[in-house]
Amino acid sequence: MMKKSLKPFRDIIALALGHLTVFKHVFKRPVTLEYPEKKLPLNDNFRGEHALVVDNEGKLLCTACGTCQRVCPSFETIEIEKEKNESGKFYPKNYTIDLNKCIFCGNCVQYCPFGAIIMTKEYELADEKKSALKLDINTLKKNYSDSIIKKTVKSKR
Amino acid sequence: MEYLYFLYIDFLHKYNLPEFIGMATFPLLPFCMVAAALILVVLFLVLMERKVLAFFTQRKGPNRVGPWGLFQTIADAIKLLCKENITPTGAEKFMFNLAPLLAFVPVMVVWGLIPFSSEFDFMSYSVSALLFMTIASIPTLGILLAGYASNNKYSLIGSFRSVAQAISYELPLVFVLVSIVVLASSLNLRQIVLAQISVYPFCGWFIFPAFLGFLIFFICATAELNRCPFDLPEAESELVSGYNTEYSGMKFAFFFLAEYAMMFIMCAFMATLFLGGFLSPFGFYLSERFIHNDLLAQVLVYFEQVFWLFLKTFFLIFCMMLVRATLPRLKSNQLMGFAWKVLLPLSFLNLFFICCYKYFIYAK
Amino acid sequence: MTKNRLKINIGPQHPSTHGVLRLVLELEGEIIKSCEPVIGYLHRGMEKMAENRTYLQYLPIVDRIDYLSGFFNSFAYCNAVENLAQIEVSKRSQYIRVLTMEMNRLSSHLLWLGTFLLDMGATSPLFYTFRDREVILSLFEELTGQRLMYNYYTFGGLRHDVSDDWLDKVGDFVKIMPKKIQDYEDIITNNPIFTTRTKNIGVLSKNSTLQYSITGPNLRATGIRVDYRNSKQETGNKEHNSHGLGYLVYPELDFEIPTAKTGDSFDRYKVRVEEMKVCLKLISQCIDWLKSNTGEIISPIKQHLLKVPEGEFISNVEAPRGVCSCYVKSDGSGNPYRVKWRTGSFYAVQILPKLLENTFYPDLMAIFGSLDVILPEVDR
Ligand code: SF4
Ligand code: SF4
Repeated sequence: MMKKSLKPFRDIIALALGHLTVFKHVFKRPVTLEYPEKKLPLNDNFRGEHALVVDNEGKLLCTACGTCQRVCPSFETIEIEKEKNESGKFYPKNYTIDLNKCIFCGNCVQYCPFGAIIMTKEYELADEKKSALKLDINTLKKNYSDSIIKKTVKSKR
Repeated sequence: MEYLYFLYIDFLHKYNLPEFIGMATFPLLPFCMVAAALILVVLFLVLMERKVLAFFTQRKGPNRVGPWGLFQTIADAIKLLCKENITPTGAEKFMFNLAPLLAFVPVMVVWGLIPFSSEFDFMSYSVSALLFMTIASIPTLGILLAGYASNNKYSLIGSFRSVAQAISYELPLVFVLVSIVVLASSLNLRQIVLAQISVYPFCGWFIFPAFLGFLIFFICATAELNRCPFDLPEAESELVSGYNTEYSGMKFAFFFLAEYAMMFIMCAFMATLFLGGFLSPFGFYLSERFIHNDLLAQVLVYFEQVFWLFLKTFFLIFCMMLVRATLPRLKSNQLMGFAWKVLLPLSFLNLFFICCYKYFIYAK
Repeated sequence: MTKNRLKINIGPQHPSTHGVLRLVLELEGEIIKSCEPVIGYLHRGMEKMAENRTYLQYLPIVDRIDYLSGFFNSFAYCNAVENLAQIEVSKRSQYIRVLTMEMNRLSSHLLWLGTFLLDMGATSPLFYTFRDREVILSLFEELTGQRLMYNYYTFGGLRHDVSDDWLDKVGDFVKIMPKKIQDYEDIITNNPIFTTRTKNIGVLSKNSTLQYSITGPNLRATGIRVDYRNSKQETGNKEHNSHGLGYLVYPELDFEIPTAKTGDSFDRYKVRVEEMKVCLKLISQCIDWLKSNTGEIISPIKQHLLKVPEGEFISNVEAPRGVCSCYVKSDGSGNPYRVKWRTGSFYAVQILPKLLENTFYPDLMAIFGSLDVILPEVDR
């Protein structure tokens, strides 16, 4: 323990050191990112809006197996209408994801046995209408082709 | 002053205006100038504060409205003007509306007392330093009223704190002022500045003999202005926004304006007392040295003096902002203890020292 | 209530209650005579939610219990399920878990430091800590896909491996971080205003911390060296040596547990700052191990078909705000029968009335802020 009589001096030194440390930051570059103009680069793992993978022939990879429904933590988010095609395989006639309920956990993507669903890097999803956040099968397909064009996801084929 | 007056009459003559109009309007001019300058300075000051704090924290600060964010404060002011003026139910209406004015008007008045240059001091009395201190303490009354009238517990606590703080910090402030008065042998602010002229540039400034006094004055001024670390009356983590919690729109803008204007004026006052006011730090005026046109130089000297005063003021304001960026807030009892147990004895010491100094050195 | 007492409501919307806590205070002048915390504004039914979800479906939700340290909740739950279902976790995933959790602890403490100092009135440190926290969050985003709700652990492993590139980035961060921590300390630790405001304020005695089940840094600030990461406890109290000590690979790592003496606000601050340094040490050890060793991290089991045999388990994790325990009871089906959470902040709020009695009103922030309470964790 230092002497008590020295305390005022130590206090003054500490105060001066504090001010200097703050002042030092004037000379550093700002770390602000001006958001709408500049955006943080996103990496491949990013979990944004969903998309359904379409193969080269324009067919969906999805087989309407329903695994994604079963792993989704929020109920009734994913709705699938199953149908059989001519060759006897199942395909989704309609496939909707309700982003109002989705918590973007990525379970559906992780556990889909066919890699048929992915997440794009779109995250600015705000809209005036709630219904705009209900993605039907066409929007999900379009999301995929859009992100292929924007090169935000790697083509699956 | 006379010189400017004749210049003004001359100017009017050119447009064939009779002299009595000049006589009638000339005394009003300074006040218009003061008011306009005050508003401009405050607008700039708010921007400066935000920018400087941003630089201290590696941000960019406002940069959307206008180039470099210059019009940000104007946009904010317009926003405040457009907002609804809410008077809470249960509030004491008359006092609630009076409080912002009471905080704002004295600030406008004291602004006129600062000697901006050796000629422009709009109100020059033999006791202007004393008058300054007296009027500058009135806004506290406005704060007390605001807290009392808003019918809000946070406001009430905030205003109590403000008054307690103002009372305890006024004392050391005045004692330091007394020491300056002793040094300058005058209560007139212009005389105080002129007493700081010396043969060597800036050596005559009173900050050198009264450095301790300067520190005390700086601390007390920060406390008087309710700025961090003494911003207890509006400590947002405890009292939401303190005494102005219930205010909105223009009335809030008045408080806001008064606060920043007072900050500028206090710093200008400090610059006047300690940093040689409008004196040039080089010992000569640049315009005298470099402009050979006599008439122009004579006018420009006044503006240069204003420039030096503003430069010193802004330096002090910058220091205040640095303090704000660094220090945490004091506690109320700690605050009182600091004023009565540390600052007041130190200011006595300072006064004693200055008196000795004056007696032994100046008296010869 | 006597006549000259002022009753004041702090919150639920107030700048410094860190969420939606409501404190009903009775003031006499500026002295707090009584305090009554009112909680529950953020209740989301976390425990009930588990009962109608499968084990996997519940996993993304647990991140939201304490959104500042999602990995800890995730791990507590995973650990309980893994122990019940007897799933092995490979060494490499254990190391990655330790690495991510320590980074999370660091980010959580950084946020606490910034907001605590903001409550005390110092503005700049907030921005500095957020600047540094931002780096951690970006790293997490790169690894897991999201900044706060990671959902990265799975039963028996992890979602994907870390890349060497990412490890290098973490290594760079660890290298610059000590300087930053030194900056914070320069600004605040010896500042006379700060020290007088926090020293001998809000003193928690050893006894009352144990009575009120305070854990984590708040407990260690009183001088009791209890930390679930450490397998060798020095309490002398046999009851504390329960299971769950030295979980994961912590026993293999070299670290000390910072403690302080008096248990006042300043000590709590000091312990957390020291803990940040310990975090850095642990992170760099994990990086070294991960760079030189490889291993499997994807768990072999089918996550979404997981059925857990009957039984119950409590897993304890040393989270940044005290011990976070997760109790899982299984009835053999695919859904947990009961999940119970125990989180550190809840107990810290519980002791507030006792701590705040007869203190000054401005001390409220110095005490409440230093306890590091976060409301979603209290209300769950
Ligand atoms: S997206 Fe995948 S998991 Fe979902 S139904 Fe289609 S194939 Fe099955
Ligand atoms: S991201 Fe999660 S919540 Fe959203 S649809 Fe997929 S599984 Fe459901």
